[in-house]
Amino acid sequence: MIWVSWRQHRGQAIGCLALLAALAVYAVIESTSMRTAFSHDGLAACLARSQGTACPAGVTAFMNEFSSAVNIAFWSVALIVPGLIGVLVGAPLIARELEFGTWRLAWSQTVPRSRWLAVKLALVTGGLIVLGAAMTAVITWYRAPMDQLTGHFQHNSYDFEGLVLTAYILCAFGFAVLAGLLIRRSVPAMIAAFVPWLAIRLIVEFVFRDHFLAPLTAKINCTHGCGMGIGFVPQATGRIGDLVVNINGNIVSYQPADRFWTFQFIEAGIFVALAAAALGATIWLLHRRATWTT
Amino acid sequence: MTQHDADASVPALRTDRLGRRYGKVWGLRDCTLEVPAGAVAALVGPNGAGKTTLLEMIIGLLEPTEGQVSVFGETSRADTAEALARVGYVAQDHPLYRDFTVADMFHLGRAMNPSWDQELAEARVDTLGIPLQRKVKRLSGGQQAQVSLTMALAKRAPLLVLDEPVSSLDPVARLEFMRDVMASAADATLTFLISSHVVSELERFCDWLIVLSHGHVQLAGSADDLLDAHRLLTVPRATPDAELPGTAIHRADSDRHSTVLVRAGADQLAAQGHAGWQADPVSFEQLVMAYLQRQAPATDNDPPPAAARPGPSTKAVTR
Repeated sequence: MIWVSWRQHRGQAIGCLALLAALAVYAVIESTSMRTAFSHDGLAACLARSQGTACPAGVTAFMNEFSSAVNIAFWSVALIVPGLIGVLVGAPLIARELEFGTWRLAWSQTVPRSRWLAVKLALVTGGLIVLGAAMTAVITWYRAPMDQLTGHFQHNSYDFEGLVLTAYILCAFGFAVLAGLLIRRSVPAMIAAFVPWLAIRLIVEFVFRDHFLAPLTAKINCTHGCGMGIGFVPQATGRIGDLVVNINGNIVSYQPADRFWTFQFIEAGIFVALAAAALGATIWLLHRRATWTT
Repeated sequence: MTQHDADASVPALRTDRLGRRYGKVWGLRDCTLEVPAGAVAALVGPNGAGKTTLLEMIIGLLEPTEGQVSVFGETSRADTAEALARVGYVAQDHPLYRDFTVADMFHLGRAMNPSWDQELAEARVDTLGIPLQRKVKRLSGGQQAQVSLTMALAKRAPLLVLDEPVSSLDPVARLEFMRDVMASAADATLTFLISSHVVSELERFCDWLIVLSHGHVQLAGSADDLLDAHRLLTVPRATPDAELPGTAIHRADSDRHSTVLVRAGADQLAAQGHAGWQADPVSFEQLVMAYLQRQAPATDNDPPPAAARPGPSTKAVTR
């Protein structure tokens, strides 16, 4: 069964490796110029001394040069890529067998179909975890200079570092496998899985993420109004990486930078749980479902 | 597999009041039949008669709603390795993975079947001139059918189920395919169950016959016995069924004569024969058509009327 799973998914595996290679090449090229500028501007020393407040011109110049390339275009592309990977790999897993009638071949060998599915899911999920971890590692390395200025709590670093990127892929994969079983056609299943995945992904990010834990509050005194200071250092707290949730008069509520991993675990947990629910439903339905024709 | 031959009284296949409901509609109901070990059985019926439903339950792909299947005396539970191991299956349109090579398909067979016979598989495609390294999508329809059959044979299951194996093939490929099936069937350890909606395809090859329509078994038994037990009578048009020997199965009236296919033994024919009546042997196809044209049960949900019950067939199979 391991060979069978490999043979059926090796095209996808090669595609994923190609994607990873392209990402790595882009990261090396971009990151090299970013790292050169970072050390050239002496930002590391400045950051260590003063959270960046001592060298506003250097920080601003660096951000102007790199933040648009790194943040906006990157975030909008990378927002959908984990979902695309998940649905492209997940939807055909069962749907293609039903579409082409090969389920009659696959499930009439001496392997019960629940086992057939379990082996496939285990191997493909494992592959996606490796892919997600590798993409996370590449992006984290690539963004490292930028992250020293912005911390890890901004959308464009939080979404691709730590655990959540892998969890997003798995969630889209789980939805797509289930959709493939229910819809029985690969392409409609991809769409049917991608749309709710994207909706949940955005809702979690923009509605729930700030409130995974109750924010801390601090009393502040802002003479010219409180907001972001230099780079992404919140003026209110003065610490790189703190995420300001709300400012109400002179009370600021914020998520401190050291909650990054807690938040990563919570958010990854949500998406992994959704993936597990979808795959659990798939296993149950495949075992239980009686008819595959029509 | 050899232990099965030892006890010839154990049928290769037995279904006992087997039924499968899809929502409110019964795809197959009350299906009781037997196929003896070593037989080449034809399962004949129009499209939608429940053939595929029956075959999928026999293979273990589909769980019966009621009743049970046993293969060589062992009850099959759907979707278990034990049940799946006992039956080789060539599905309709012989699905294969299009981007696999023939060698890949055999690798899959080896990976998924503990009793896989790689030598048999390779020898067979070699004889047929199918290159192992060719991709499935580059094979002709006939070659794809042959690869499917080879995979089912190499699984080394004692019962082989072929669902409409030749319906998508051209006439030459049909003949070649069926000849290969017969060559394999000469190995008496194998039992074949072959479905088709075209009777003439199977006539020359099968020694056991099952006629299925409207989700019920209409007729089942040894082909020779069934042909012996039926006659085509040509009688004057006015003759009522009651005066005919045996049971009238199907009647066609022309201007002056009626042609009636009756189920009657030689003794009945002799006892009730009249001068001017003509009794001819029936062909496989006439027999099947007569039973298929019989009054069907009113709805699929009702038990079949007594006339259509597989009474004669039960006699035939328990003989």
